[in-house]
Amino acid sequence: METVTGAALQVLHGLPEKVVFCKRCVMSNQRPSTSPEFRKQDTRIETAAFGEDGICHACRFAEMKEHIDWNDREAQLVALLDRHRRNDGSFDVIVPGSGGKDSAYVSHQLKYRYGMHPLTVTWAPHIYTDIGWRNFQAWLFKGGFDNILFTPNPKVHAILTRLAFLNLLNPFQPFIIGQKVLAPKTSLKYDVPLIMYGENQAEYHNKLSETQSPLMDPSHYTGDGTRRYFFGGVRQEDMPQYGVKDADLEPYLPIARSDADRLGIEIHYMSFYHRWRPQENYYYSVEHTGFEPNPERSEGTYSKYASLDDRIDGFHYYTMYAKFGQGRAMNDAAHEVRDGHISREEAVALVRKYDGEFPRKYYQEFLDYIGIDEAEFQAAVDRNRSPHLWERRDGRWTLKHQVA
Amino acid sequence: MSSPTQPDAACGFARRVVARLDIKGENVVRGIHLEGLRVVGKPDEMAARYSLDGVDEIIFLDIVATLYGRNNTLALVERTARNTLLPLTVGGGIRTLDDVENVLRSGGDKVAVNSAAVRRPDLISEIARGFGSQCVVAAVEAKRCGPGRWTVLIENGREATGLDAVAWARRCSELGAGEILLTSIDRDGTRTGCDLELVREVAAAVSVPVIAGGGPGKPEHVAEAINAGGADAVALGTLLHFKLFSLADVKRALHAAGIPIRPLSSLTRPPALSGAELTA
Repeated sequence: METVTGAALQVLHGLPEKVVFCKRCVMSNQRPSTSPEFRKQDTRIETAAFGEDGICHACRFAEMKEHIDWNDREAQLVALLDRHRRNDGSFDVIVPGSGGKDSAYVSHQLKYRYGMHPLTVTWAPHIYTDIGWRNFQAWLFKGGFDNILFTPNPKVHAILTRLAFLNLLNPFQPFIIGQKVLAPKTSLKYDVPLIMYGENQAEYHNKLSETQSPLMDPSHYTGDGTRRYFFGGVRQEDMPQYGVKDADLEPYLPIARSDADRLGIEIHYMSFYHRWRPQENYYYSVEHTGFEPNPERSEGTYSKYASLDDRIDGFHYYTMYAKFGQGRAMNDAAHEVRDGHISREEAVALVRKYDGEFPRKYYQEFLDYIGIDEAEFQAAVDRNRSPHLWERRDGRWTLKHQVA
Repeated sequence: MSSPTQPDAACGFARRVVARLDIKGENVVRGIHLEGLRVVGKPDEMAARYSLDGVDEIIFLDIVATLYGRNNTLALVERTARNTLLPLTVGGGIRTLDDVENVLRSGGDKVAVNSAAVRRPDLISEIARGFGSQCVVAAVEAKRCGPGRWTVLIENGREATGLDAVAWARRCSELGAGEILLTSIDRDGTRTGCDLELVREVAAAVSVPVIAGGGPGKPEHVAEAINAGGADAVALGTLLHFKLFSLADVKRALHAAGIPIRPLSSLTRPPALSGAELTA
């Protein structure tokens, strides 16, 4: 291979050429920020916001949170809930969730602490794990909730996932799209304008300016109704050649902005109103909804309590690792540093030990699910490894930059 | 060995209450099912408090030692050994005889081995030959995987091994382990009592004392682990760390259940002499 000195290396996906790891947590500046998936034509993304001082905005935000008056935030929450509360027996808040620790916390607090009447909605995982299904059921049985479990047509979903994997190396894109639009669609059906999510993802990788509001940006779930969207990088009008008709895409299409405005849909984040501590949510859900962690750690990380209901989940994180050099253990460890549970030194050790571990357990199932073979899998992964991040060393792909 | 259902009060040897301190960095931490680790205090303060309150033994487990490839607790062991006469067991990252020697030199009395012993079972016999069986505690972390079946996990409950927990405990005792520190991951931190079936199975399978752990949330749980489970000792974490009950409550319950314990009169000990006083 030709050695390039002084010249720019090829950089894929619109990533920053210089790799920086946050001096405070461990997060990489290659991490994507959150943006609407149904508008993406290719793999280019925006990345996590970092300060000039080498500290990521998520850490700055964590610092700001220390100065938030949480009593005042709770008063704001109560005022919001009072504005939406209904006494005629109808639902007054939609809570999207899987029955994991976070949605268990939000739904249980809303119903039993604040006396709301939530309707919980679940976008089904690709393939439930046993523990995921048990937790989902325990959430409803032990927690006591009404729920709509929406399972998208698995044949269509598999095609979309295949396209998203092969074209964008982003197999979770269809899941993310569907999951985000399910709640507002349910709002329209049940005439319930208030939706409550758990954690604002933007807190972690978007600009600080996007974290000053309790509301989700409507661009994530509304459109202009022109049906000019992209799925797995394919134009909506081209989808029939892959065997997906317009009608098949209904569950994935954003709602019309005019409908959202007419009903007055507001999507709020609980993390704006309550101090958000995943570990405390774990304790809360064990006690109140019978939540159980994974019997062993999830592949690619050290934790046992997050993101454990979907068998192909590991491939979401593994593909991120291939594209951005930043995997699941780094997500978890960075979060725990910010929450004060671990030191940066421990986070570095955890990232070095677990980040990028191949999700072997359900590999064959994943290949079967999207209908490709190992060679196609490997080719797709390798062509998305940006040369500024990866090199071949002794016949193995190796990251050029490691957190230290 | 006493029968599982009846305390052998006549035999009179005291059953033990052991404080288990999981150490991570500067802190003692506690989770549920070994996950979601909360900081619960400083190890020095907690060890001092429990020893004054009348605990019979203390176990320090450095739960990130295997991750870092080193044990960070030696200084802590040294300080604690200076201030208490209680037996100290030290675990986490023990892989070589040198590691064992370092623990003993720091004032520890026994080492607990888990991950390294699963990877290389001979480690147990080597320690037993080198330092005596009384010095080696096999820590077995067990997760239920079916009716009457448990599997062994290592690295603080994160890595599966596929080993059968009862068979592994028996193997450890055959290799020369002097005690089995048995933790039920299913019950850990839940305050619902020990997995008595697991304790019984292991106690029946091994010829050495079993320290039952994982689950005790009240004094009655401690008594039943001994009376119904056949444990010789019970390891307490959550119950003590979250001050659900005091050690006096626990000892009273054991006494009431007819279990021989270290006499209450010996619950307080004179303060240990400092290094200066010893050399004077």
